[in-house]
Amino acid sequence: MDLAWYAVLGLFFASYLVLAGYDYGVGLLLARGVGPAGRREALTALGPFFLGNEVWLVAAVGILFGAFPLLEGELLAGCYPAVVGALVGVILVTVGVQLRSRPDDERIRARWDRVVVIGSALAALGWGALLAALLQGVPLQADGHVAGVTHLATPFAAAAGLAMVTLVAVHGATFLTVRLSAEAAAVVGRTARRLVPVALTAVALATVVGLLSARVRDAVQRPAVAVLLPVLLVAALLAARAALTRQRPGWALVATGAALALPVLLVGAALWPYVLVSTTDPDASLRVADAAASAPTLRLLGWVALPLLPALLGFQAMCWWVFRGRTDGRAPVYW
Amino acid sequence: MDTLLLARLQFATTTSIHFLFVIVTLGLVTLLVGMQTAWVLTGNPKWERLTRYWGQLYVINYVLGIATGIVMEFQFGLNWSGLSRYVGNVFGAPLAIETLVAFFLESTFLGMWIFGWHRLGKGVHLALLWGVAITAYASAFWIMVANSWLQNPVGYEVRDGIAHLTDFGALLTNPSLGMAFGHVVSAALLVGGMLMAAVSAGHLIRRTPDFALFRTSLRIGLVTAALAITMVQGFGFAQFGPVGAVQPTKFGGDGPESQALIAEWTTRFGPGDYTPPVLASVGLGFMILIGFTLGCVWLLLPLLFRDWVIRLRFPLWLILLALPLPFIAVILGWISREVGRQPWVAYGLLPTEQAVSPVSAPLMLTSLIGFSLLLGTLAVTNWVLLARHARRGAADPALGRPPAPPSEPAHPEPALL
Repeated sequence: MDLAWYAVLGLFFASYLVLAGYDYGVGLLLARGVGPAGRREALTALGPFFLGNEVWLVAAVGILFGAFPLLEGELLAGCYPAVVGALVGVILVTVGVQLRSRPDDERIRARWDRVVVIGSALAALGWGALLAALLQGVPLQADGHVAGVTHLATPFAAAAGLAMVTLVAVHGATFLTVRLSAEAAAVVGRTARRLVPVALTAVALATVVGLLSARVRDAVQRPAVAVLLPVLLVAALLAARAALTRQRPGWALVATGAALALPVLLVGAALWPYVLVSTTDPDASLRVADAAASAPTLRLLGWVALPLLPALLGFQAMCWWVFRGRTDGRAPVYW
Repeated sequence: MDTLLLARLQFATTTSIHFLFVIVTLGLVTLLVGMQTAWVLTGNPKWERLTRYWGQLYVINYVLGIATGIVMEFQFGLNWSGLSRYVGNVFGAPLAIETLVAFFLESTFLGMWIFGWHRLGKGVHLALLWGVAITAYASAFWIMVANSWLQNPVGYEVRDGIAHLTDFGALLTNPSLGMAFGHVVSAALLVGGMLMAAVSAGHLIRRTPDFALFRTSLRIGLVTAALAITMVQGFGFAQFGPVGAVQPTKFGGDGPESQALIAEWTTRFGPGDYTPPVLASVGLGFMILIGFTLGCVWLLLPLLFRDWVIRLRFPLWLILLALPLPFIAVILGWISREVGRQPWVAYGLLPTEQAVSPVSAPLMLTSLIGFSLLLGTLAVTNWVLLARHARRGAADPALGRPPAPPSEPAHPEPALL
């Protein structure tokens, strides 16, 4: 039961990174100097999907609270700066994208777009650092609380945050390659291809820094998984580049999406059966089973979620289907 | 300043801002459903224009509701980790259900509704708005289930100091829930109706074009506000019974029940000050005063006959000037409900000081200042944008604007005003 809920939690958080990941990628790419029309075109490509993407985060945190209350409190409070950074980023992006076109003045819109760029970078940095914090262990004490927040300040957390920024940038550029009109897509497709080596370098750097970190080596319970999944991530990025070169942006988007989902799988699988590994007191480490809510709560949530999941996925799929294809002059413009 | 006080201030700030926006969301979406349904049924373009104009204000207002809502959800874990540690098994369930059943779908539907004009069939497009409204009410319901559990914890047993769920049905039949839910929903309708009436009054005072349009929304707003204020009063006074029974200390009650409860807490938790701050009763008093004042909206209804409300002009000014009142009242009501629960986070079960996260005071202070500035700035910006769009009128809102005709060069940017 707890494994199933742990998988559902991972599914929702990974889906959030995959879906909102291209929001943040598109957000970062607003900084690439394409002028007001180009920026608006990029936001129109996000259009109807934008609101449906960030709700995966809200649902993931809801599941975290309902099914893993102990983890929710200790993880968020114990990694306060990373969570707040990501949260501020999420807020800036959601407000910036939705409000930027309400004033008519292009200068004010450009200012809002800078807010979106900063927010996108913060969100990616924060989530990357949070995943790194899990992988490098936290100073969990015998009383069950995480001591302080300075444990976050490591080269590995910084490298993972940067890697996440490059991953969402590649993902966002690939998304635009799928969605923009053919001529604009060709330009942004070249950007996407050029960003792949940058992301590869950042991922390789994070992996090396992680392997060199004694904390990461101690915290990881399954070294084979921890080595295999970064290799898969690199393979996904190479596949994305190959697909972009062959003018198959749809497949490239699948590959960059996989690259954003893999870090979540990596953290979940490499630490199993633990979710918070203590760096100070091995006995204080928190197992997934101990972090989970008690059986009646999980049963209740199961009865609610099981019939609901098809509806949630179905309505999201409806949104993707209705608004599929490239944007053109007749695409609805609102953001 | 200690961490506890800072964490409470942060929660109060975030929740107050959140409440000011979501209460408008809930009220306006109800009226929008009526307008768009009327458009689909009658085909009268007036209803389409009304839906677009008020829909645009609704969508702008929605932005801050989401932003502050996300902050609130994270704040439970960031600042109140004791809440999830000790009572998360029970309190977390309705919150998790709310995110899955309600919020997830609400936002998904709204995204499709905003971009679905001229793209989806009229029926499907209307169904999406119904979906947004139903999930918004579901959202309010589950949040009130969670909040009512903090007011009056039920359906649990404590083992090893941690509350475990025993009877989920008890959470749904909680005496703290029913009348309070009715009260909040009616308050949302009141706010939505008053907002609609006041914005329309502004246009009618300035004699802008679209007289017919704003005449209609003035009438809808006033009738809604009048019906809603009566429901607000009814559900409000109906709460005194159940609240007095389950939370005798709430409004500084000094009766035998209250004294017995405090004696029991003193034996179980040690001596302490178990009476809530006086702010709870003050908030309640002023809220009731505002509630009676707003009841005067009934006096304006006869003036709808032959448009006397517009021709006399001074009633329009009254409506416009009364707009802040319902907003002040909902904040006061919220303060009296939440402050009246102190010193407990879960009444009689978990003291507030045990729920706060073991975070250092400087970090909590930084977070408080940072989030207050961020959300405060965004809230003011949002209100300015709302006011500008309300003032601009219904000539051509961006929401639901038809796409450029195909003869134009392929360019996604429509002609701007």
